[in-house]
Amino acid sequence: MCRARTVGPQGIVLSARWAPSRRWGADGGLNLGKVMMNDKRVRNPVRDVIPDYEAEFGEDELLEQSVLVTTWNKLIQNLDVVYNWGRKSSLWPLGFGLACCAIEMISTAASRFDIARFGAELFRPSPRQADVMIVSGTVTKKMVPQIVRLYNQMPEPKYVIAMGACATGGGPFKEGYNVVSGIDKFIPVDVYVPGCPPTPQALLQGLLTLQAKIMGQSIKDAPWYRSPASDSIPVPILGPDIVDPRQIPVIEEKIDQQEEPGRETKKKKHGRVKVAKIPEAELEVTERVAQALRAKFDERAFTQKENALIVEPDFLPDVARTLRDELGYNYLANLTAVDYIDEGKIQVVYHLYNIETGGPHVYLKVDTDREDPQVPSLVPVFRGADFQEREVFDMFGVRFLGHPNMKRILMWEGFEGFPLRKDWLEPYYEQEHKPFESRWPEGHHRAAEDRVVWGKNVRYPPGWDPKAWDPAREDVMVLQPEDLANMGDIRTEKIIINLGPQHPSTHGVFQMRVLLDGETIVDLEPVMGYMHRNHEKIGERNAWLMNFPYTDRLDYLAQMGNNFGYAITVEKLLGVQVPERAEYIRVIMAELNRIQSHMWSIGFLLNDLGAFFTPSLYCIEEREMILDLFEMVAGSRLMVNYFRFGGLAWDLPEEFLPLAKKLVYDRLPRAIEELDRYLTTNEIVQARTKGIGVLPRDLAINLSVSGHMLRASGVNWDIRRKDPYSIYDRFDFEVPVLYGGDIFDRYYIRVLEMWQSLRILEQALEQLPEGEILAGRKQWSVRVPAGEAYGHVENPRGELGFYVVSNGGQNPYRYHVRSGCFINLTALSHIAKGHKVADVIGILGSIDIVLGEVDR
Amino acid sequence: MYGTGALKGMWITLRHFMATFVQDVKTKGRWVPPGAGTATSIPEETTGYITAQYPEVKLPVPERFRFNPMLIYEEETGDIRCTSCGICAKVCPPQCIWIVQAKDSAGKTIPQCAEFYIDTSICMQCGFCSEYCPFDAIKMNHDYEISSYERHESWVMDMQELLVSTRYYAETHPRAWEQEEAQRAAKEAEKSAVER
Repeated sequence: MCRARTVGPQGIVLSARWAPSRRWGADGGLNLGKVMMNDKRVRNPVRDVIPDYEAEFGEDELLEQSVLVTTWNKLIQNLDVVYNWGRKSSLWPLGFGLACCAIEMISTAASRFDIARFGAELFRPSPRQADVMIVSGTVTKKMVPQIVRLYNQMPEPKYVIAMGACATGGGPFKEGYNVVSGIDKFIPVDVYVPGCPPTPQALLQGLLTLQAKIMGQSIKDAPWYRSPASDSIPVPILGPDIVDPRQIPVIEEKIDQQEEPGRETKKKKHGRVKVAKIPEAELEVTERVAQALRAKFDERAFTQKENALIVEPDFLPDVARTLRDELGYNYLANLTAVDYIDEGKIQVVYHLYNIETGGPHVYLKVDTDREDPQVPSLVPVFRGADFQEREVFDMFGVRFLGHPNMKRILMWEGFEGFPLRKDWLEPYYEQEHKPFESRWPEGHHRAAEDRVVWGKNVRYPPGWDPKAWDPAREDVMVLQPEDLANMGDIRTEKIIINLGPQHPSTHGVFQMRVLLDGETIVDLEPVMGYMHRNHEKIGERNAWLMNFPYTDRLDYLAQMGNNFGYAITVEKLLGVQVPERAEYIRVIMAELNRIQSHMWSIGFLLNDLGAFFTPSLYCIEEREMILDLFEMVAGSRLMVNYFRFGGLAWDLPEEFLPLAKKLVYDRLPRAIEELDRYLTTNEIVQARTKGIGVLPRDLAINLSVSGHMLRASGVNWDIRRKDPYSIYDRFDFEVPVLYGGDIFDRYYIRVLEMWQSLRILEQALEQLPEGEILAGRKQWSVRVPAGEAYGHVENPRGELGFYVVSNGGQNPYRYHVRSGCFINLTALSHIAKGHKVADVIGILGSIDIVLGEVDR
Repeated sequence: MYGTGALKGMWITLRHFMATFVQDVKTKGRWVPPGAGTATSIPEETTGYITAQYPEVKLPVPERFRFNPMLIYEEETGDIRCTSCGICAKVCPPQCIWIVQAKDSAGKTIPQCAEFYIDTSICMQCGFCSEYCPFDAIKMNHDYEISSYERHESWVMDMQELLVSTRYYAETHPRAWEQEEAQRAAKEAEKSAVER
């Protein structure tokens, strides 16, 4: 039972994790008895790699060494102690975050866990100044070239911490087609921190583990003093799939041995399929709209089927224009497609709302041939269709005729295939639906890597020649000749700068390609997909219940809201009645969530405006208290996984209510008031935000932006009021509306909304009834009646919608997430033009994106 | 005038900074570890909180806290609770559980597992396995201090590495333990009543 230990200079006893007695996941620190099943329990092949610090730096020996230096080796050892202590106590991390884990990393840097106690608080925006790269989150294929580049730019000695399951081995998104199964496939990793996400304390423990490793190094054999110091790692190429240049010879050799996974066509086992009931209100609206349209169009234009209008492609723009101008359905909430492979068609679906009156949606469908899918673009009618149509093109290959910029949006140009088509299968494809048969009852562990000839999550088209591939620079924004001609007498030169994808202001991995004339923005193009984790493809393979924990990872600052949206959408099809108590708890959680999310947003908006980290620290302080409540109730700070169909996973623990009341009555009002007092009237905040990035009302509606962006532009649209879900109609609260449409209003509306959330919370906590929290029995296998449903909730970052199609089985046939941030980004280039480059950071901050939801 | 805004901001920071000294004087330098003696780390004060001095002082985790799954065996008998029914493997969203059902010498399956693997580099710690296990055989461990220098061997955990005793479980999950034991006792009583 040898546990390697080292005594740090601060007297902290670090127990390192490699010792065989310390098998993680077992008895923890309690050293309890353990059953011995066989003798093979001690296994540690890496033991030799790890130096035994106890032997090398025992406490007594350290003392002895410092007093009596006899040999050269001892001198070196003494020097090493000082040298290593200096290095380990000033590990400056690279300031970049990839996904959900980055949120926990930032929380670790905030005052509650205070990474500064370990000398690691200086998050450097430049890799040139950084010592350690904390790879915090899912590494996607689109992002990995940038990560390798950043790693190459870091000076030696450099260290890498893989934070969380995704960075380590792909995590829950491993099977995704755009996900790299472990950053260690590209760059060497020093410490792996498990968790999904690791809590701040787990990350700190990872940092201590790294420090222990550094203490074991010696100046004598440090590779970074040799010449050459280190070879740079070849940057991966974006081909038809990601290409590691080191692997090109292997690719050429084995390209013929690659197996194409075949799609199994299993006969449907369930004989009689239950069909979901369509809500009366939706049928009524459809009937009314169909009648009005019939007066204008002949019968070829559309047919009415249940709650949907199936429109002929040629008539689509006219029908949409009529709906917008004459019938008041002026808000295109959702646009996506469904691949009906058995019928040989792809169906593009549209959900339209009436922004003035609210109420149920109008549901349009357009059928198109699977072989050559084309549909007229709706961008001339609804500019909000822009990104959504590009996404459908990217995922299904449907070309939208007349779209101004028809190219891929989430994947890169040159990627092979259209991933959301049912016959497109990933390299790690195992089976059409979960659960996989290989897991039980003969579940011998076999990593997905072993099933692929490359040992990686990649597949190349048959016969593809990597040498002949021209890694064309992907759609770089270039100057047009007319721009050059119009430059006039003054010789100025327009320049293009790329903000991101690794940039402190982009709130994650997001890129803005900006064309500048001096300091002024002439054009801007958002580039996304750096965190595209294939949520929808995985979601269609998952059983219905399995999608709950995945929704947590959409907008990881609004976990409860995501759970809420998915639950109410599927409950529409299931037709279950949620018990009273569960409804109240749902609302309490959603509103607490809104406050913590708004706190974060405000803090980081100020960050973008130049008040670096101080306001964020004060905001994160209150947020931590709410996260504590989440952890107490659901078991995790971020990934709550708390909602179930027909109710909730667990009831509130008894200490919840007193603490929640204390927060809601004492702590939070005080914090919000403080924030308001310090920030709202601050002249610098006002100077930087008022009149900047103005989004006019009509444009806002036309661009399909939602949430705070609509309300800051003078539109009274809050789904909690206009299409009420759950029990929001019982509470007394107001929908704050501001009319400026600038950054300031988008900031201030959050403060006002937090007050309203507190109002709801006060009522809900007082009225919370006793009773059941789940309708029916706990079920691990849910069969959802056939049908289609679109459900949406008012999330902190806009409307979060779920569009699900069920064919009566255990898995969704189609699972689409209408992301608020993604569509809000459509407005970015419209409102940023003409402003200074420093303002665009603030504008993006006020739109407030979370990349997990933008890219999904 | 721009100066005042900047000064005001600095004043706020200064006040927060000074407040820490006031705190030190009040507590005579001996700060109370957050959450000491309570199940929660939410402080009594209505503003601010004290930094958790990890690793000397750790924030307590609530009972429902989820980290990696663990398998439970009975302390007294050494019996592993798992019957290898496969529900956890079927309900696992990222499909990170592998189970081999045990067979007796005649080749008939018996309610025990021969092999049990969890690939923690895939696990999303959602807790479905423990939530839907009908035998209380798989639970979520609280031990989060498990970072490692290597992943290919140590992150694929086999049955031996996953096993913990009922005593350990009772210590980390006192309330759930009590409730489950009460349920079990009630069931036993009912059973014996029927037999009689």
